[in-house]
Amino acid sequence: MKKDGKLTLWERYLTNEIGIEFKACLYFFAILFFYCMYRLIMGLDDARIIHMAEMIFTCYFIGYMQVFLFWNFDEAETLGIKECTGMVVCTALYCIVSYIGAWFDRDLKVTLLMALYLLICYVCVFFIYRSKRHIDDKKLNEELRLFQSEHKKSE
Amino acid sequence: MRRDSLKLDIQKITEGEESVVIRYREPNPAIERVIGILKDDTGRIWGKADGVNVCINTDEILYLESVDDKVFAYTEDNVLKIDSSLNSFMIETGDEIFFRCSKSMVININRVISLKSLSSNRIDAMMEGGEHIIISRRYASEFRKLLKGGR
Repeated sequence: MKKDGKLTLWERYLTNEIGIEFKACLYFFAILFFYCMYRLIMGLDDARIIHMAEMIFTCYFIGYMQVFLFWNFDEAETLGIKECTGMVVCTALYCIVSYIGAWFDRDLKVTLLMALYLLICYVCVFFIYRSKRHIDDKKLNEELRLFQSEHKKSE
Repeated sequence: MRRDSLKLDIQKITEGEESVVIRYREPNPAIERVIGILKDDTGRIWGKADGVNVCINTDEILYLESVDDKVFAYTEDNVLKIDSSLNSFMIETGDEIFFRCSKSMVININRVISLKSLSSNRIDAMMEGGEHIIISRRYASEFRKLLKGGR
């Protein structure tokens, strides 16, 4: 942090990176859960490390795309056409990689089910971020009132 | 600038009352600043609105904006062109209620009606005049700290 309180270029880069890593972890966990459920239903109680590695790398890559190409749609203010387009494109990319990597034994029905699951995940994450911002609004406004009243007292 | 052409006449006296005499043809920012210092008008600022020199209280300012190296102060019913930069305004006033919210803007926190948290850690400040000013992510964390009581 600079003396004047502004963020340095490095700190801004780091903030972005942490945001992307958080996204990658979040979606990796969601996909891993779906993958584990699939494996269990198929009567298998193990997960392939290569699949998990593919998942985490895909999540990182798509995380970057979400932030830099698709207007960070899960953190957007409203769910408009461009945000929905971002959601659909990212979901399609996950489906393509899962199909090529045979995460679900190249079963089209399961791949489509995962697409639906991911879309629901994206919408849920969008609403979670939105409600987080609503809570933040309340906190910010409380602090603003306190600041204003304190400053008026000291005038 | 006219400021450079001002003639300084300083006299040391041994008796009689100390005084300052200001002689001018037309009021100008340099003269007004000198008068301001002598009158100790802290909390007041001079600017030009429609070509007329106006002095206002700094608390009347909603926000200041820098456009093409010119600084404008916006009040509820006036826009003043100020003979100063945003940085020097911040230093001169030294008041915590003024916050640099982006490269080209300073807001008066006491004139903010409400705040709204935006994505990418930005903040939307709604001013008394109804204007929405965005506090960029670069300044937002400092703004949060300021509201919490530490800068």
